[in-house]
Formats: sequence, structure tokens, C-alpha cells
Amino acid sequence: MTGFLAAIGRGTARWLGRVGLLARFAFEAFASIGTLPGAGRRVAARVLLNQLRFTALEAVGLIILLSGVLSYLTISSTIAQLDKVGASELIGKLMVVAIVRELGPLLTAIAVVGRSGTAITAELATNTVLGEVRALKGMGIDPYHYLVLPRIFGCVVSVITLMVLFDVIALLGGYLAAGLFAGMSGARYLGIVLANLTTQDVVLTVFKGLLFGAVIGVIPAYEGLAVRRGPTEIPQAVIRGTVHSLGMIFVLAAIIVGVLVR
Amino acid sequence: MTPLLAFLEVGVSRAARTTMSSLPVVSTEPDTMLSLEVAPHQTVAVLGDETSGVDALGGLALGLERPLTGRVLTLGTEIATLERSGQLAFRRRVGYLPAGDGLMQNLTLRDNIRLPLRFGSDFRPREIEGRVDVIVAQLRLTRVADLRPAQANAEDRRRAALARALAFDPELVVLEEPFDGLTDRAAAELLEAARGGETAEGARRTVFLTGPDLPALLRPRVDRTVRMARGRVEEVR
Repeated sequence: MTGFLAAIGRGTARWLGRVGLLARFAFEAFASIGTLPGAGRRVAARVLLNQLRFTALEAVGLIILLSGVLSYLTISSTIAQLDKVGASELIGKLMVVAIVRELGPLLTAIAVVGRSGTAITAELATNTVLGEVRALKGMGIDPYHYLVLPRIFGCVVSVITLMVLFDVIALLGGYLAAGLFAGMSGARYLGIVLANLTTQDVVLTVFKGLLFGAVIGVIPAYEGLAVRRGPTEIPQAVIRGTVHSLGMIFVLAAIIVGVLVR
Repeated sequence: MTPLLAFLEVGVSRAARTTMSSLPVVSTEPDTMLSLEVAPHQTVAVLGDETSGVDALGGLALGLERPLTGRVLTLGTEIATLERSGQLAFRRRVGYLPAGDGLMQNLTLRDNIRLPLRFGSDFRPREIEGRVDVIVAQLRLTRVADLRPAQANAEDRRRAALARALAFDPELVVLEEPFDGLTDRAAAELLEAARGGETAEGARRTVFLTGPDLPALLRPRVDRTVRMARGRVEEVR
């Protein structure tokens, strides 16, 4: 029994230690904004633009596909049931609550973790293994400025942008599907959706974009820069970065529903 | 004459390096005690195999790691005790060629040389381009400057890494395993470029280099050679 409790204690201490290191990393990264030199801002801005291209622009196709298919599946599978009980008006509420508020941000974040979170971990781990991070520090360039901050801000801006795109495509998909499957006029569908869409939904979407984007920027960067032994550790770092990011995003989504959405 | 680099009773051990995401490694006992001064215009080599702790000296000189005991004074300052932004600004005054080059793989050799100037100086873009063109020509990199490190050979990569280290025309240059895998001729050219020509007092720049060994051709060009082995430090000549 004592051994069992000790094992739990060791595991908890190890987990808390990792959380502490991650928190310190995130704090140092954000605190480093204040020390970014003027000339460094221009270089960091160029890295940020690159990150936006990889994370946002090149993900547009995937987000359109995911969003279109999700709205098609949601409407085609629910409209008939709602019709049977004379509640087809609820399709607007369903689209707003299920897709705009919950699934849109979550699926967008999952897609960005899969595309860019993994790439960030692999890239920074490779930078570390090849001695590039040490060389940057030796040259007087803060790796937080050159490697970490552009990726965090790139992820935040990208996730917010892609979430908005996801919601717009989902609602447009719903517009088409409502006409096809329920014979609902476009004007009526839009009227129902807009009546159910509140300012809180828009604010929550942006807030989730901020949080999820920061998670996708910070955790994969942390795991990539934690590589110590060599190239064989890179795949493990990518797995850790992906799993921990996804876990954190789901936990945050649950907390937001529990605390902010009433 | 005040030394540009001084290891004062520094305890050296072959400790694992820390990463940005981990706590510093707490090493126990130093394997070797090193006291060494590098005077201006001198070229000093500290040699030893990977068990000697010699590979830690470059990081100690740049304040990337703290010594277990003693102090390291670089240009009269203990870099490791400065606050983070102070450390970064100070390191721009020292040229650094890390072991294994440390070139950014996603940048061309020219962009690698530009990087410290663009990030850490207030030079205008035209001034930076002018300076980079001169360094690229000096190190005979013109033909390969627009290649990425993976497309260039080991000699050109090392030249580019040295060019990047010399971008600010520093007074002191720290080289880690600079001649690893190079021919004697290429190593000699690299050392001459690092020294930056001759003055009445000696080389124009002060050079501190570490590595497992020194090519025979270079020994006459090195003012002091120290060997670290099995906890002992011996002056070779």
C-alpha cells in the first residue's frame, strides 16, 4: 500500500514538475517581448509572416473541407428528425450551439495541432539537436525572440482567423443543406441563425482562439526545445507536443463550457 | 596587459548542457581545475578529448553555462552573472563559432551571416549588405553564399560559420572544434581569417580555440597550447 501511494506521489510530483517548467517557459517567452530589440522586431516579424503562411494560409483548404463536411453531416442527419417533431426551426440553434460555439473552435484547433503543432515541435527539436539554438544564444540572439514568439503569435492569429473561417463556411454549408434537405428558404435559415447568434458567441470564439492558439504555440515549442539527447528523441517530442496540446485544448474547452457558458 | 579572457580557478566537468525547457543540470564535482589567461592579440588553444571537459570551455567563455567553481571573465565581465538581456547584448561583442557550425538550416549561408547583424545592430540594410559582401568575399564564399548549409560542403559551412562569428568584427573570437574534419590547408586559412591579420603586438584579433587536437601546420601560429587530460592541465609549450 505504501509503495502504491509512493508511486502515485512520484508520478504526481513529476507531473507537477513538468507543469512548472512549462509555466516558466511560457512566462519567460511572454516576458521576453519587453526585451525584443528594435532591429530584432523586423526579423521576428518576417518569421511571424512565414508562420502565418504555414499555419493559416496553407490550412485554408483543410478547414473548408472539415467545416463543409461537418455542417453537411449535422444538417442532413438532424433535419429529418427535427421535422418529425415539428422543430425544424431548431436547426439554427443547433448550428450556433454545436458548431459555432463548440465544434468549430475544437476542430480548428485539432487541425492546427495536427498540421502546425507537430511541425513546430519537429523544427525546434531539430534546431536544438543541430546546435542552432545554442549558436543563436552565443551570437546574442534570444531564441525566444527568433524562434518562440513568432510561432506563438502566428498560432494565435492563425487559430482565430481559421475559427472564423470555419464558422462562416459551416453556416454557409448549413444554408445550402437547409434548402436541399428541409426545403427551407435561405432567408428563413439566415434569420433563424442570426437570431440565435449572440455577441457572447462571437466573443467566446475569439477568446477560445486566443487560448487555443497560445496552447498550440507554447506547448509544441516547449517540447521541441526540451530535446536533449539527439535525433532519436525528436519523434518522442512530437508525440508529447501533440498529445499535451490536444489534452490541454480539451480541458480548456471543458472549463470554458463549465465556467463561462450558462 | 589585461587579459581579454580569464578562467580563474574554474572547475570544469563534462556536464550535460541545459536546454531552454529544462532546469540547469546540477553537476557534483569538477573533474579539472583550470586557471588560464588569454592576453590581447594572442591565439590560445586548449586541447583535450571529450572526457576532459574541454568542450565546456566555449560555453563558459560566452556565459552560456556557469562554472561549478571559480569565475570566467570575458572582456573583463562575468557574463553569466548579467541579467538575460545584458548577457545577450554582451555576447554580440564576442565572435563565436560553436562545435558543429550551428548554422540555421532554413537560411542560406549569406542569410546566416546577415542574421546577427540584422537582429542585433542598428545598421541600415545597405550597410548590412555591404558588410556581408565584404565578409563573404574575404572568406571566399561568393560562389556558395546562396546555398543552404545542407547543400554546401563541410569546409564552406565552417567558413560561413566563421564569417557569421566575425560579422561584428569582434576583438575576441571563441572557436569550438573549428578544424574538425578539415584539411590542414583549410584549417590554416580558417585560423588566419579568425586572427584577422597581423599587428605589431600579434594577431589583430584574440583567438581562443578548443578541440581534440591541433593540425601540425597550425602549431607555429598558436601562441599558447594547453592540454587537459584526466583532471590535469599542462602547458604544451
